[in-house]
Amino acid sequence: MATRTDTEPTGGAYVDEFRAFLEDTWLGYALVLPSVILMGIIIIYPTLRGIQLAFYEASLLSPQQQTFVGLQNFAQMVGAPAFQTALWHTVLLTALAVSIQYVLGLGLALALKEKVPGAALFRSLSMVTWVLPIIVMVIIFRFLTQNGFGPVNIILGSLGMETTAWFGEPGVAFPLVVLMHVWRNVPFYAIALMAAMKSIPDTQYEAARLDGAGPLQRFRYITLPQISYVSMIMIVLHVIFTFNNFDIIYLSTGGGPLGNTEVLATYIYKQAFQQYAMGYAASIGVTMLLIMMVFTVVYAHLEARD
Amino acid sequence: MATETKQQTTQATDRSFADRLDAWLAEDMSPRRALVVYAVIGLYMTFLLLPVFYMVLVTFTSAEFLYSSQLVPALSDFTLDNYVTVMSTGLFQQYFINSAIVATTTTAITLVVGTLAAYSLSRFEYPGRSGLLFTFLGTQMLPRVLILIPFFLMMFTIGLIDSLVGIIVAHSVLGIPLGTWLLKGYFDDIPKSLDEAAKMDGCSHLDILGRIIVPMSLPGIAVAGFYTFILSWNDYLFVSILSQTAATRTLPFGLQLFQSQNAVAWELLLTAATLTMVPVIVLFALVQRWVVEGLASGGMKGA
Repeated sequence: MATRTDTEPTGGAYVDEFRAFLEDTWLGYALVLPSVILMGIIIIYPTLRGIQLAFYEASLLSPQQQTFVGLQNFAQMVGAPAFQTALWHTVLLTALAVSIQYVLGLGLALALKEKVPGAALFRSLSMVTWVLPIIVMVIIFRFLTQNGFGPVNIILGSLGMETTAWFGEPGVAFPLVVLMHVWRNVPFYAIALMAAMKSIPDTQYEAARLDGAGPLQRFRYITLPQISYVSMIMIVLHVIFTFNNFDIIYLSTGGGPLGNTEVLATYIYKQAFQQYAMGYAASIGVTMLLIMMVFTVVYAHLEARD
Repeated sequence: MATETKQQTTQATDRSFADRLDAWLAEDMSPRRALVVYAVIGLYMTFLLLPVFYMVLVTFTSAEFLYSSQLVPALSDFTLDNYVTVMSTGLFQQYFINSAIVATTTTAITLVVGTLAAYSLSRFEYPGRSGLLFTFLGTQMLPRVLILIPFFLMMFTIGLIDSLVGIIVAHSVLGIPLGTWLLKGYFDDIPKSLDEAAKMDGCSHLDILGRIIVPMSLPGIAVAGFYTFILSWNDYLFVSILSQTAATRTLPFGLQLFQSQNAVAWELLLTAATLTMVPVIVLFALVQRWVVEGLASGGMKGA
C-alpha cells in the first residue's frame, strides 16, 4: 500500500485509506488464523499443559487425579541416576554427532562444489539418506550388523575377528547410534555449505592467489569466514534436532543394552507411557526445553559478538 | 601455467607437507584435481549409498542366500519371491494403505493452511506479524515428547485415539510451521510489483493468490509438500501413541513391531522396508532439483 504524501483537505482520503488498511489487516489475520488456531491447540496448548504438569503428580492411568507437588518432580529427577545418565548420553551424542557431521559435511561440500561432470547428480544422490524413513535406516543398520549373516559380521568373520550382534554390545551400541545420526545428516550439511561456498565470488580467490595464498590458506581465510553464517544455522538446527531426537535411538536400541544408549527423549517416553509417571516425565521435558533455549540464546550471542 | 607450478613444486623440496599439498592442488581442474574430487565423492557415495543399495539387492535374492553367510549373490539366487510374499500379506497392505491415506491427507491440509498463512505473512502488514513468524520457527525447538503427553490426554478426552483422523490432525499441525515458513520464503521471492499491477486491474487478494502467487511458486509448493509428506510418512512417535490396533497402524509402526519380534524374517523385513522407502524415493526424484536448490539458497528459504 502506497502512503500518500499530498492528501485532499476533505478527509475523505483518510477514511478511504483507513478502510483499506482495516480491510487488509482483517484479511491478513483471517488468512493466518487457521494455522494459528491449529498450532495453538496441537502445539502451544500441549506445551503449556506439559509445563504445568511438571509441577503435578499425575498418572496416565487416572489422568483426572492431579495433585500439585511443587518442585518435587524436579527434585526426584536431579537425584535419579537414570536421569543423569540419560542427560550425559544426550549431551555426548549431540556433541559427537554434530561435530562429526559438520566436518564430514564440509568435506563433501568441498568436493560437490567443484565443476566436474556429474556433480549435480551426486548432489541429489547423496540426499537419499536424508529422506529415508528412520525406521528403514534402522532396519538397514541392524541388518548390516546382525549376528551370523549380517554383512559386517561376514567380513569380520572371514578376517578371523570377533563377530556378535553389535547393537547388543554395550560399548558398540552408542557409537553405532552416533554413526546413524552422522550417516543421515551429512548430506544436509554438505548441500547447504556447498551453496554458501559457491556464492563466494571467484575474484576473491584470484586475488588471494596473486598474493601467493595456497589452497589451504584460501580455505582458511576466504572460504571459512564466508560460510560461518550458514555453518551457524546448520549447527544450531542440528543440535536441536539431535538433542530432541527420539526415533533413531528408540527404534534401533530402545535405549539399551542396559541403558547404554538411553537419552532424555527415550527416557521421557518410557516414564510417561510405560511407567505412567506423566508429571515426572513432563518435568524432564521442561528441562530439555530449558536447556535448548539456553543453548540457542548463548550461541546466538556468541555468534553476534564475532 | 602448468610449467610454472611444476617449477614451484620442484623448488620446494624442504617445505612443509601442507605447503606441498597446496602446490600440488593449486591448479584448477587439472586432471589430477578432478581425480581427487571424484575419489572423495566416490568415498562418500560408498559410505552413504552402499548400505541402501545392498539392502535392495538382498531383497531380490532368496532367503537361502541371505542366511548363507555369503556377500555376493550368484545369478541363480535372484528371485521375486520376497516381493510376492510381502505384497500379498494382508497386514502389510493395510499399513501401506493407512500410510498413504494419512500422508496424502496431511500434505493436502498442510499445503492449504500453510499457503494461506504464508500469503498473509508475506504480503500483509499487521501488529503481531513478526511475533507470529518467530512463533512458527520457535515451535521447531519444542521437544515432541513433551508435546506428546498432554496431546495424548487431549485426544483421549475427545475420543480421537485409534483413529486415522487423530493421526492426520497431529501430522498436519506438526507440518504447518515448517511448511508455512518454506512457502513464505518462496512467496517473498515474487516481486510485489506484480501484486500491485493485478490490484490496479481490479484483482482481489484471493485472485492474486490463486492466479499469481500459487502458479509462480509451484516448485516451492512441491518442496513444502514433499517435506510434509515425508514428515507424515516417516513418523513413528505420534502413531505409536495414537494407534492402538492394526486398523490405524502406519508402516513405521508396523515395521517396528515386525523387527522387534524374537525370530525376525529378515528377507521379508528388508523387502517391506524397501517398499516403504519407494514412495519417498520416487517423490524425491520428482522434486530433488528444487529441494537441493531450496537448501542451497541459504540453508532454509526465508531464514
